[in-house]
Amino acid sequence: MIHGFAEVGYGSKFLGDERTDKDEFNLLEERLQLKATYRPAKPEWLASRNPEFFYKGDLLVDEHEEKVKYQIREVYGLISPFSWMDVKLGRQILTWGTGDLVFINDVFPKDYESFFIGRDDEYLKVPSDAGKFSFASRWASADLVLIPFFTSDVSITGDRLSFYDNLLGRLVGKESDRLLTEPSFQPNNTQIAGRIYRYFGAYEVASYAFKGYFNQPKGIKNANARELFYPELAIYGASVRGPLPLLGGIASGEVGYLDSLEDRSGKNRLTENAAMKYLVGYERDFPKDLRLGVQYFVEQMLDYDEFKANAQPGDVPRDQFRQLLTLRVTKLFWRQTFEASFFTFYSPTDNDAHFRPRLTWQISDHWKFTAGANIFLGQHDWTEFGQLEDNDNFYTRLRYSF
Amino acid sequence: MKYLGFGLVFASLLSVSGMELRSAYAADTAGGSTVMKEMLLAYYYPRTDAKSEVFMRIVNRQGQTRERRLTMLRLDEADGGKQSYYIYFHEPADVEGMSFLVLKHPGRDDDRWLYLPSIDLVKRIATSDKRTSFAGSDFTYEDVSGRDLDEDDHELLGVESLGEHSTFVVKSTPKRPGEVEFSSRKFWIDKATHLPLKVEHYDLKGTLYKIYETSEIQTLQGTPTITKAVMKDLGSGHETEITIKTISYDVGITPDLFQERLLRRPPTKWIR
Repeated sequence: MIHGFAEVGYGSKFLGDERTDKDEFNLLEERLQLKATYRPAKPEWLASRNPEFFYKGDLLVDEHEEKVKYQIREVYGLISPFSWMDVKLGRQILTWGTGDLVFINDVFPKDYESFFIGRDDEYLKVPSDAGKFSFASRWASADLVLIPFFTSDVSITGDRLSFYDNLLGRLVGKESDRLLTEPSFQPNNTQIAGRIYRYFGAYEVASYAFKGYFNQPKGIKNANARELFYPELAIYGASVRGPLPLLGGIASGEVGYLDSLEDRSGKNRLTENAAMKYLVGYERDFPKDLRLGVQYFVEQMLDYDEFKANAQPGDVPRDQFRQLLTLRVTKLFWRQTFEASFFTFYSPTDNDAHFRPRLTWQISDHWKFTAGANIFLGQHDWTEFGQLEDNDNFYTRLRYSF
Repeated sequence: MKYLGFGLVFASLLSVSGMELRSAYAADTAGGSTVMKEMLLAYYYPRTDAKSEVFMRIVNRQGQTRERRLTMLRLDEADGGKQSYYIYFHEPADVEGMSFLVLKHPGRDDDRWLYLPSIDLVKRIATSDKRTSFAGSDFTYEDVSGRDLDEDDHELLGVESLGEHSTFVVKSTPKRPGEVEFSSRKFWIDKATHLPLKVEHYDLKGTLYKIYETSEIQTLQGTPTITKAVMKDLGSGHETEITIKTISYDVGITPDLFQERLLRRPPTKWIR
């Protein structure tokens, strides 16, 4: 069976920022997605190993880029060679960790451009070409992911969203000509991510490890040539999630130590320092389909003294402890066919914020209408959300699923 | 004087009926609970495990329909005790591949997970409110997986015939009113199969607002099974019909299945 959807989306810019390719809008596209699952029932030797083949691809008429694009979102084979093992090979979406739109141990690539211009949440995740090996046992379960082909986050380049270019020291748009150098494709550049998890009663506990690269160009190779690179990174982390006694609802906590392998001392001002990241979250539901979620996130720069000592005039100032709060409010109406949601990021240390109001109306089993906005506020041009201040947008999407 | 006399008569009537009610209540609580317990076992815990293909049709007042097709796996650890559910959505297209895992523990909140395949996300769901609609239907989570017996007082009102069935009539009143949207429910429970044939829901003002009715019972593998039922919301004119397309009992579902792994990796042989 082939399923999928056809969708049109339009997102206009409030402020008419003229730095980017289009002054009026940053989303105008028509998309056709097709997906197919095949679970062979024969031959017996294969069928007994729970085989599954999956394809999902998008044909996108992107009127912002003035291009027609074909993107394979997922294409993989999944099989259980043993009762205690699953192997998933191919292009796949990978997610783990406990955060709600805040990520520590989820090291898999993201598309923040899609996220900020009003595409469906699905497009926040960028697929990885990877092999995933999952092991189950009575004591614990484990996942091992090998990613031979480096895929970075979809970087904000200035064509669609203006941003703060730290090499130029100002907000830039399409004139940004940064050169982003990805790690070459070599066997020893393969990224490895692992997770071991188990349940203690209702509580799920996980530990994570990763060796690979920053997903964002956090290193400057050559400032004059405007060349950035993706430094090597290792992460060690842990998380716990479960019901909160007495109050009810689900509480979670996650930590990660990010070891910046190319600047372990923190002395190199051109490469991101090591960091500790902490996240606590709480979500609960209330009668009448109301759900609230709050999160508190702290990013602690390690070797902060070295950072201060080596910083030069023009470098972006940073806090030792960057804090971020998120709030999610979701309410469903009309037998869960109409959803109003509001997600807020607010950083008291960066003094910036990002608001994501959204209305979704499931008109029928086939038709869905979505309208929302992305609003950015910030005191400074160089903070995560502050740099996007001129990109406020209002978007609508109409989708037909089949 | 006349007025006082009337008042006295009225008061004595009240006290008599109150006494009668109290004694009847004391006597019938046990009977009501027993009947309800048998119903729970027959309805929610038949045999040890089951694999079913379920079809839901949700119709609104304008006659517009929404449809859900899902596969449900169930395994009981003990009759009336711990239970695991796995639900895999086939239709509609935009939720295809979405799945639910529910571990039910009588006496405390269920553990519930939702899997969204398009972002490979296993989401833990808070379950404080069990009265939310299941998948946008007129059935609540509690209707689908059973409400704890201890949540209500059960009063056996008597015996009635409903169509060709002889039934027990039980009134269930929440012990903690205000936590749920109904003030009481009235059950007609088939004496022969212990299955519910009809349930009336009364709102906090005591008005009937929602009716459940069983429209088809089949005996499958020797087990009487409700294969078609309707829940009608009288106020909104909304209704949901559930049809069990196929069901097989004791197919050998094992407890090790009910893990996060099951969500990320659907059990091909059960859902094909």
